[in-house]
Amino acid sequence: MGGSTSASDDRTDVLVIGAGAAGAAVAWMLARAGIGVVCLEQGDWVDPRTFPHWRADWELHRHTDWSAEPNVRRLPPDYPINDAGSPITPLMYNAVGGSTIHWSAHFPRFRPSDFRVRSLDGVADDWPIDYATLEPFFDLNDRMMGVAGITGDPAYPPKAPRQTPPIPLDTLGATMARGFDRLGWHWWPSDSAILTRDYDGRRACINCGPCDLGCPTGAKASTDITYWPKALAAGARLLTRARVREITMGADGHADGAVYHDGEGRLSEQKARAVVMAANGIGTPRLLLNSRSARFPDGLANRSGLVGRNLMFHPYAMVRGVFDRPLGGHRGPIGCSLISQEFYETDLSRGFVRGYSFQVARGLSPIASALGGFIGDRVPWGREHRRAYDERFDRTITVAVIAEDLPEPHNRVDLDPALTDGHGIPAPRVFYTLSENSRRMLDHGIARAVAALEAAGAREVSANPLLRAGGWHLMGTARMGRDPATSVIDAEGRCHDVPNLYVVDGSTMVTCAGVNPTSTIQAVALYIADGMIRRRS
Amino acid sequence: MTQETVAASRDLLALVLDTLVPASDGFPGAGAVALDHVLAMAAASADLERLLSHGLRAVRAASGANDAAGPASLSVDDRENVLRRVEQSHPEFFEALVRHTYDGYYSHPTVIARLGLDASPPHPRGHQVETVDLADLARVSARGPIYRPA
Repeated sequence: MGGSTSASDDRTDVLVIGAGAAGAAVAWMLARAGIGVVCLEQGDWVDPRTFPHWRADWELHRHTDWSAEPNVRRLPPDYPINDAGSPITPLMYNAVGGSTIHWSAHFPRFRPSDFRVRSLDGVADDWPIDYATLEPFFDLNDRMMGVAGITGDPAYPPKAPRQTPPIPLDTLGATMARGFDRLGWHWWPSDSAILTRDYDGRRACINCGPCDLGCPTGAKASTDITYWPKALAAGARLLTRARVREITMGADGHADGAVYHDGEGRLSEQKARAVVMAANGIGTPRLLLNSRSARFPDGLANRSGLVGRNLMFHPYAMVRGVFDRPLGGHRGPIGCSLISQEFYETDLSRGFVRGYSFQVARGLSPIASALGGFIGDRVPWGREHRRAYDERFDRTITVAVIAEDLPEPHNRVDLDPALTDGHGIPAPRVFYTLSENSRRMLDHGIARAVAALEAAGAREVSANPLLRAGGWHLMGTARMGRDPATSVIDAEGRCHDVPNLYVVDGSTMVTCAGVNPTSTIQAVALYIADGMIRRRS
Repeated sequence: MTQETVAASRDLLALVLDTLVPASDGFPGAGAVALDHVLAMAAASADLERLLSHGLRAVRAASGANDAAGPASLSVDDRENVLRRVEQSHPEFFEALVRHTYDGYYSHPTVIARLGLDASPPHPRGHQVETVDLADLARVSARGPIYRPA
């Protein structure tokens, strides 16, 4: 490490690295308990007045400065990712709030069986914690984020009342619900971290649509407006534009802080009694692998060799139906309409183990319609363009098949030997292959989604068998477990090798379920923070 | 040989865009509403500038014309045929051209309004959505739990 380092002599109790979904939750919970917290975040606060929603050309920004792909966006807080070895591109946002700035806020929980995969189905591993243990933290997190939904879903154990009524289905959702009804399949209005009524000082959704470009209303729960104001009020300190270079170690074998580049590029150091990694399923292993020392020559907390391994995405297949009538798909939160978990639990007669969900989102905006949306079949050019476009625009429903990916050690994040970020820090490199089980699951899901769309009245159906720009969920790269030989962190979130180093983001996940993970990531983070508080007292 | 810039090929580019998305049914042609966007994107990226100027040269060559207005003398059928040949021979150029054309076209207020949408920014306008009766959920609930206890 070159250059001089200015050391801060105010050692904090806990240093949190990353201010996104998990880091914000942990910072709030610890600060509320009177624990000193400093958080280092490589991005900055995002001003809602800069969101594209205020501009008539808002949709263009999806392809440039508001792309979900850091390799496209290339903003100063972003770091490059070599994803040439993966058919799925990792997506993320680097700012206070992390990827909750651009997420669609679809907010299902993992189900009880998701924590007992080995016991129930003989594959992967059980989690060392279960649904019942996490349930109070799910509920706490729901209250902090604010969830729109309706109780009574038979796909889940009973839940506490949702904070606001569900997101309206509108014409599009109701059309798809009728399709599921005709087949006798499960569906339910999605739990969504988007308010349909004013709640906790935040305004209700105005159904403007593009949640993936931020939420200027503040109805969508991003942690910059949910957890962080409360964490800061409780005494947490948040340093933005602070990119961590490495975790530092004391002579006693404990983590004692981090070295980071501040907003002007200067190297600084923050000392701490404990360190919490919350940099997401790629950023956390990247930083651990970059924190080599004589004690940990293969990367910090990596005696198992599993840091970065067992990377799980949720492989997505996308199935689009074209209907004969307008569906109003541009109205309402883009990612949230309804969910079906008809094929969620294992049934080996289907040819695969575990299962998947259907996520029914909204329709496509004007440019996305022309470019083919998630299917990618752009509308033909030439004299047939007008007719072809008009047959498609506002007349499509896309059903996402979100498959449970099983952990496999060869799917991994490591360090690229040449690629670096703007500070010269080695960048991550991703290797991923889709398993045969996941492929069969996606194929089953495509066939069933076609049936559901046709039952809903679609006259033409197309599918994308594997969405490339679908790496929203980054999981498993510092997995939780009881055995130090087969896991990186223990059941309390502590690294087996470094007892005061914690991991709380999607890296912790032993398995990834068949639903969006943020609700569960945050519940696990709160559970880990609760353990830190209990042990301190 | 000095390569002509995209901006200097403005008339040719407008003609190409009008062939990609012709005016019809009250919609403008892309040459009228997407040209400025494509030019702006080319001006902002040296890579795109090179790609488009090289591709436009191929269009001119494929049309068998040497002067700037050459392809304008072709029939619509012939212009489409020229572009289809270039689409085959220069796929990277063509993909970028179509993508930026659609971007510019379907973000233009005139086109948005013609689609029947409000062309003003989505915020703070928002949308009214239909309230749907959720009575059918009773059927779904009636199945009882479908999750495995663990």
